[in-house]
Amino acid sequence: MVDNNNFALKTNNVYVHYGNKMAINNVALDFPKNEVTSLIGPSGCGKSTFLRCLNRMNDVIDSCKVEGSFIMNNTIDIYRDDLPIENLREKIGMVFQKPNPFPKSIYENVAYGPKIHGVTSSQSELDDLVKESLHRAGLYDEVKDRLTDVATGLSGGQQQRLCIARAISIKPEIILMDEPCSALDPIATAKIEDLINELKENYTIIIVTHSMSQASRVSTKTAFFHLGNLIEEGDTSKIFTKPDKEQTNDYITGRFG
Amino acid sequence: MSNIKKRLKAERRFKFYGQLGVFLSLLFVTLLMLKIFTTGSGAFFRTTIEADVFFDPKFMQVDKNSSDKEISRSSFEALADSVVNNNFKDLNEGQFIKVREMFTRRFDYQLRDYFLDNKDDYKKTVKLKITASSDLDQIVKGNYPRNVPEEQRKINDYQLSILDELNKQERIGSTFNFWFFTNGDSRDPETAGIWGAIMGSFYALMVCLAFAFPIGLFASVYLEEYTKPGKITDLIEVNINNLAAVPSIVFGLLGLGMLIGVFNMPFQVPLVGGLTLGFMTLPTIIIACRSSLRAVPPSIRHGALALGATKTQTTFHHVVPLALPGTLTGTIIGMAQALGETAPLLMVGMVAFVMEIPGGPLDPATGLPSQIYLWSESAERGFIEKTSAGIMLLLLFLILMNLTAVLIRRKVEVKW
Ligand SMILES: Nc1ncnc2c1ncn2[C@@H]1O[C@H](COP(=O)(O)OP(=O)(O)OP(=O)(O)O)[C@@H](O)[C@H]1O
Ligand SMILES: [Mg+2]
Repeated sequence: MVDNNNFALKTNNVYVHYGNKMAINNVALDFPKNEVTSLIGPSGCGKSTFLRCLNRMNDVIDSCKVEGSFIMNNTIDIYRDDLPIENLREKIGMVFQKPNPFPKSIYENVAYGPKIHGVTSSQSELDDLVKESLHRAGLYDEVKDRLTDVATGLSGGQQQRLCIARAISIKPEIILMDEPCSALDPIATAKIEDLINELKENYTIIIVTHSMSQASRVSTKTAFFHLGNLIEEGDTSKIFTKPDKEQTNDYITGRFG
Repeated sequence: MSNIKKRLKAERRFKFYGQLGVFLSLLFVTLLMLKIFTTGSGAFFRTTIEADVFFDPKFMQVDKNSSDKEISRSSFEALADSVVNNNFKDLNEGQFIKVREMFTRRFDYQLRDYFLDNKDDYKKTVKLKITASSDLDQIVKGNYPRNVPEEQRKINDYQLSILDELNKQERIGSTFNFWFFTNGDSRDPETAGIWGAIMGSFYALMVCLAFAFPIGLFASVYLEEYTKPGKITDLIEVNINNLAAVPSIVFGLLGLGMLIGVFNMPFQVPLVGGLTLGFMTLPTIIIACRSSLRAVPPSIRHGALALGATKTQTTFHHVVPLALPGTLTGTIIGMAQALGETAPLLMVGMVAFVMEIPGGPLDPATGLPSQIYLWSESAERGFIEKTSAGIMLLLLFLILMNLTAVLIRRKVEVKW
């Protein structure tokens, strides 16, 4: 249906174990470029686990073993030994469930990524990049007078947008978001959703969410997980209107989960 | 109904026990302080005897044109004797010795120091307040009783009569004893000071800090951030905790056996004392640093890692700075402990009689607690107040250090 080149990331035969416990069981899922894909499913079904495989954040967890193929842009195996994990994470950014700004200034938060990757060559270039990133995260107007204030003084929603600004400051190709709005109120959530809709012009976004309405508002593709299995994937409109599987239907209609 | 009464009664009883406990501990601390202050405050003042000093060319080898160096090298002993003879007429030899004993043995030094600053007084007569001997000082301060038989006194009847005469002429005075703060140790209590010991402790603590802080920090970072939990780390953990509970004298023996015995380092120097205190402080620092590292939320690490920071960048850009206040607090508390430790200093010889102020970590020195220990061992009455005054200073330093630790903790407390 879609031409191969339009996938930012393709995964196949993915198994994840925590010790002896299986968390992901033979999942194959592809993510179309410059579109938003949402991962849904009941709590504990392995959405976060799967998402963390995509930028190898599972490597941090000692007991976690990941198998399978993960191909980025049809060429790069992201688990290849000679690919530095730091380069991979430069290409695949992540926004966490709980806003986790560094307890440094707002400016420092956004400037940190470009600094360590040597993205900019001068201070003014860095200033511009920080400004631009904050702008695209829809936060600039709110914080432009206090860039040197400590970031942990911002509201939860502002902090989360700061984390998004931080993630896009190094111009990744893919942004992973793990329930980015679960700690936020409806207004802050709406802002983040608007932001996601804008960002998808330039980025491939993969978002884990518990909110059906959020999934249907922001994503074009949806994947439904249950107990480590990928039950069903497809166009968001189709999944939410006439899913093929009974389980999916039960979940989206709120009959279990 | 009766039940609630009983419970309230028990509550009141418990509260009373608590208050009693607090009261008693405060009482003991107050008594201790009071005792130390009343005994120690005398050390900050010394008794003086006013005397006419004629800078008589007959008894001096130098004059107003001599260089400071020449003056420093020349003897003022004869001049001091002449001052005694001039101020107390017609003394026979026995009387002369007794009167001379009423002044400090360092009489000549005092004259020389004065002359260094006032060369124009050459051939002139000036009134100077000469420091009294410690025995006289103790009599004047009332620490020695006067109304006991002569043979039980250090000041005999003749000297007492001279003292009374001087008192009548209002020539007995008291002055702030800055020597206590600027001198090194001395055989004579009136000139003994604590500065040498303070510098000795200072150099030892600097060595301790320079040794234990970086090692403690890196060991903690490695254990917390780089090793995977397992049997070996558990073993190390248990050992470090045990090490923190090892009596300090054992570390002293380690310093003696290893630094001095194996590595042939010199005896008595702050370098060795500091390293020994460093062994002792290391576990304290590691424990404080590891718990501060553990208190840094993993989300901070994940945030940095997800941006493509390396493990080392994550650790040193984000985690360590956040753990630093806690580590510093622990370090200062560890150093305060080290400052008060006597046993390790005893083992490595930092407990000898040292008159010179140490100029660096390789000069022979005593430490503050060992100086206090030395003075407390001394039979002379004049050293008792020095002992207490030394304790006061030690407590002051401890309080200052602990206060700094608390302030750092307050000030840099991180909010997530
Ligand atoms: N660090 C870990 N160690 C061991 N098991 C884990 C770990 N993280 C997750 N698991 C297990 O893996 C399974 C999937 O967890 P995961 O966090 O991926 O679920 P989730 O779909 O994100 O759930 P939620 O919606 O509640 O966030 C769960 O059974 C969980 O207990
Ligand atoms: Mg999750």
